[in-house]
Amino acid sequence: MSEHIVRSYDTDLQGLRQRIAEMGGIAEKMLVDSVFALARHDKPLAQTVIASDPRLDVLHREVEESAILTIARRQPLAVDLRETISAIRIAGDVERIGDLAKNIAKRALAIGGEFQPHKIVVGLRHMNDLVLGQLKDVLDAYAQKDTEKAVDVWKRDGAIDALYTSLFRELLTYMMEDPRNISFCTHLLFCAKNIERIGDHTTNIAETVHYLVTGETLAIDRPKNDRSIDTTVEAGD
Amino acid sequence: MSTIAFSASSAVGKNAAASADVPVRIAVRNLNFHYGDFRSLKDISLDFYDRQVTALIGPSGCGKSTLLRTFNRIYSLYPEQRADGEILLDGQNVLSPSIDVNELRARVGMVFQKPTPFPMSIYDNIAFGIKLYERLPKSELDGRVEEALRKAALWDEAKDKLRQSGMSLSGGQQQRLCIARTIAQKPEVILLDEPTSALDPISTGKIEELIEQLRSEFTIVIVTHNMQQAARISQFTAFMYLGEVVEFGPTTKMFMNPSKKQTQDYITGRFG
Repeated sequence: MSEHIVRSYDTDLQGLRQRIAEMGGIAEKMLVDSVFALARHDKPLAQTVIASDPRLDVLHREVEESAILTIARRQPLAVDLRETISAIRIAGDVERIGDLAKNIAKRALAIGGEFQPHKIVVGLRHMNDLVLGQLKDVLDAYAQKDTEKAVDVWKRDGAIDALYTSLFRELLTYMMEDPRNISFCTHLLFCAKNIERIGDHTTNIAETVHYLVTGETLAIDRPKNDRSIDTTVEAGD
Repeated sequence: MSTIAFSASSAVGKNAAASADVPVRIAVRNLNFHYGDFRSLKDISLDFYDRQVTALIGPSGCGKSTLLRTFNRIYSLYPEQRADGEILLDGQNVLSPSIDVNELRARVGMVFQKPTPFPMSIYDNIAFGIKLYERLPKSELDGRVEEALRKAALWDEAKDKLRQSGMSLSGGQQQRLCIARTIAQKPEVILLDEPTSALDPISTGKIEELIEQLRSEFTIVIVTHNMQQAARISQFTAFMYLGEVVEFGPTTKMFMNPSKKQTQDYITGRFG
């Protein structure tokens, strides 16, 4: 894309992209660290995750203010308008991803050294690896304006939903086995749900990237495999 | 394996579909225009839809005002300027020598960049044009003047000073007076050549509101350098460059997601 005749316009848009890149970096690290802290009972690391969130909030606010100012000042059209609106949307999604990672870190602190079934932790980490891959790819897709990469993320999210459903079933089973498991299982269930929600935010970002690049919206129906709402576990199951 | 479908029911899609239902009022076919040896319009073919606002945009010298000036043959005042091709207004070629130019200009009214009231009273500014073509009793003429001033949203401001000079009005009021004068002749098409570029934002807002009102009765073609204005008030937009139409389409599509890179570069301020 060639430059604007008014160069400060390019600087404005560049500023939005840079802030989102910084937000993406922070959110990725928060996500990695939160699940690591959960698996390894690493309280200081969990606290570091919680402490990173305010920076994300500040950047989110800066993106919003800067985008609003750009609209007021330059009345962007076509790709510039899509770029400005996309920045607001993506910053909102990344900020929520940060909140969800922070919530996992808080739960890591709450669970502390309680027993955690190895299988569940492995499942959570696997789910997290997939979501982290999606987050990285979708942020790359945004930086490179690569709509194919974005659509790929959008399609992949179904696998995470399927993993979540299976974790959900297992955690229910642990809870049925022994009521003393309920406390940590509930925390782990929320952690799994948070990771699944983060996956959904990456698909939102993918949709925004697609709109930014092509000017078209993706279809409403994304492939989904979250069957946890239909899941029940009977005693002795 | 699911497939990806793109939403067809976007606002852009609806607007594009609408064009199929609206009849064409002016059909330009293979239009060329020459200023002496200089060819300023090159083989233009373009449709203007009935009771829709079409905006012509493009950098200075691209031919948009020239195109506008062919519709009522105002260029024929200058002997070295000539047009060939066809401009079909309701199927009739306005470039044909058999066309009565005065009658054509009553059917195709024009408002210019700078307000051009005649040096006479507000009332006479409007009555003058009507009297050229129609002989009406005083009461009926009064009615026509009032109707035109009302439609141009000037009646409330002008009704108590109809006998004062048109030149005594503010710039924005003068421009609305010129629009009233155009409307009074009951034209089919109104051509607006940068009608608000000399006006303050309040007057500009009033003219834009007026254009929106007038759309229910008239086919409107507007030349504007203000992209946001084109985006606000028109249903269709044509982007012109170096005497050619680069892209034409529904305004929402043109300003949200134009097909041509040249259009995108121009409307986003990257042209250079």
